[in-house]
Amino acid sequence: MDNITSRHDPRFEVTMYKYMGVENSHKLDFYEQHGGYQTAKKALTTMQSVDIVNEVKASGLRGRGGAGFPMGVKWSFMPPVDGRQRFIVCNADESEPGSTKDRFVLEDDPHQLIEGMIIAGYAIQATLGVIYIRGEYHLGYTRLYDAINEARAKGYLGKNVLASNFDFDLILHRGAGAYICGEESALMNSFEGYRANPRLKPPFPAQAGVYGFPTSVNNVTSIASGVHIIAKGADWFKSMGTQDSSGFHHVQISGPAVRRGVYEVPMGITYREIIFDLAGGVTEPVKAFIPGGSSCPMFPFTDEYLDLTMEYGVVAKAGSMMGTGGIILIPEDKCIVDALANVVHFYAHESCGKCTPCREGVSTWLPKMYAKLLAGLGESGDLELLEDVSHNIRGRSFCPLADACIMPVQASIKHFRHEYEYIIEHGKSMYAKKSRWQE
Amino acid sequence: MMDTKIQAFFADKQDLLSEILERYPDYGQRSAVMPLLRAVQDAERHVSELRIKEIADILGISATAVKGVMSFYSTYHEQPVGKYHIQICSTLSCSLAGSDEMYDYLANELDLVNGETDKDGQFSLQKVECLGSCTTAPVLQINDDYYENVGKKRCKHLVDSMRENKLEKPWRERKGDHEGAEKAKPLQKTALKGVS
Ligand SMILES: Cc1cc2nc3c(=O)[nH]c(=O)nc-3n(C[C@H](O)[C@H](O)[C@H](O)COP(=O)(O)O)c2cc1C
Ligand code: SF4
Ligand code: FES
Repeated sequence: MDNITSRHDPRFEVTMYKYMGVENSHKLDFYEQHGGYQTAKKALTTMQSVDIVNEVKASGLRGRGGAGFPMGVKWSFMPPVDGRQRFIVCNADESEPGSTKDRFVLEDDPHQLIEGMIIAGYAIQATLGVIYIRGEYHLGYTRLYDAINEARAKGYLGKNVLASNFDFDLILHRGAGAYICGEESALMNSFEGYRANPRLKPPFPAQAGVYGFPTSVNNVTSIASGVHIIAKGADWFKSMGTQDSSGFHHVQISGPAVRRGVYEVPMGITYREIIFDLAGGVTEPVKAFIPGGSSCPMFPFTDEYLDLTMEYGVVAKAGSMMGTGGIILIPEDKCIVDALANVVHFYAHESCGKCTPCREGVSTWLPKMYAKLLAGLGESGDLELLEDVSHNIRGRSFCPLADACIMPVQASIKHFRHEYEYIIEHGKSMYAKKSRWQE
Repeated sequence: MMDTKIQAFFADKQDLLSEILERYPDYGQRSAVMPLLRAVQDAERHVSELRIKEIADILGISATAVKGVMSFYSTYHEQPVGKYHIQICSTLSCSLAGSDEMYDYLANELDLVNGETDKDGQFSLQKVECLGSCTTAPVLQINDDYYENVGKKRCKHLVDSMRENKLEKPWRERKGDHEGAEKAKPLQKTALKGVS
């Protein structure tokens, strides 16, 4: 039988997001009534750690935090158990513009994440888990905090979890407003109470992670997917999506769409289906879309790109990245230079300042150049200079943040060069600013 | 000069202090620096030099180390913020939904510029980066709470309600799977081709 690659497919069922928005879905009673913690029980009492790693490997699940590295393979990089403490870390720092998928789980289904952490911890034989949640997610934090206490009181966390001989507990840690904390090594520094500069790799977290101990860092929806893979099996997961990209993912649509929101979708779905069928189409003419959060190069809003399927390989081949699945639509009459100035401002603000290409290039030069263009002071040669600066930064920074800024800049020049040329030649944007604030 | 009568923040909050410290393993007590800073700030709307020193002493590290951590992040404040700390998301999705105009409106209405607090300590206005609520843009964060889909009318209501010291409760109104799988079903069939 064909794989499920469309939400029109009657076989598709929403799984992770099933209880989003349902009243009291964040409470333990609710979770237990809907089968909660049964999968952890199955894992801890009927499976060996290695079985879980193998099942997740077989599912083909790729990390949902942006880079798309297979989760089971990452787990298998953990060194053999040698008596040292081991950590499983859940990255809930979600700060890439366009992304809001993790927040739904944190707020509306925190027990699902806790169950996922128990299973992940057991899989890699880590007795401590850390959930690093961005500081602004206050509702998510309080719900998770309460949920952890509920789970502890019921014996889902602590010594002999679910009456097995596995001990596991969670540390919930709040960030304080810094995008770079989403980068896994910066996250670990932040957690340990240091400034959140990224660390040199290698060593990778599996060798030396939190407090120097073996660690695996995984995204919220990666961890939560584990629950369903163990509950229903790798084959079920692989019945969705493609060889390259199995299972489901969550798309988050913002910008001028009729039904902006977050949708669980099978991999292999087309961007056309997401934007037109799920989000109901556009509310005004659109010229481009960003496929996976602001660091992913934009695509023109044409048939060629709308018909791309949501697969890691396909999106990469077309010149962008799957990222977090945060899709941002850019209206026809939004000046692209203005839009990119906004993106550049974000990365400039979030640069940690550790390395020169990013501190000088992303944080200083790029915002200045965009400000100059927008002020109508562009001169001939500026576009070439912008390209040259971008070219010189790309691939030369200590961590991927600088590239995350450069790639969208380069894509915007590639697809909308005429708008840059226009603003330089005419001293004003091709499109006047217009009111976008709704009643 | 500092008021020497001010007692240590955690002096009468030993339970809170030990609850925070016990979250972390013995060898990782330094991890408590962020939650300690947050606990102080939640109560005092900023973290003063005195409190920085207190946190440093609790953890056995230097005040400079605590300050180094504090200054890295954008949400710790050295100066008190207002009773209503209004944070406007200014990143792309919010900007596409009118956050620039919303900022102009608030700045004008409250007579504040970005980063400023009024002299009565009632309002602070601050532009912030993506809050992770792009699908319900534009978004305001007032103190800890998110206010989503803030149209003109709502924004005005929010300001009025804060002026009356009765800040409205946040609402939750989201599309997509948050409305339930049934309601989130595809609206159209442009992509039906080839689906079995
Ligand atoms: C600048 C930067 C920011 C990142 N932000 C996040 C984030 O907010 N959430 C996340 O899960 N991963 C983020 N990542 C990726 C993480 O470093 C890491 O790859 C990921 O958490 C691994 O989980 P996954 O394999 O489940 O995706 C970021 C990476 C970089 C370079
Ligand atoms: S690329 Fe930017 S964020 Fe990354 S280490 Fe260098 S300065 Fe810091
Ligand atoms: S851009 Fe405002 S919440 Fe993401």
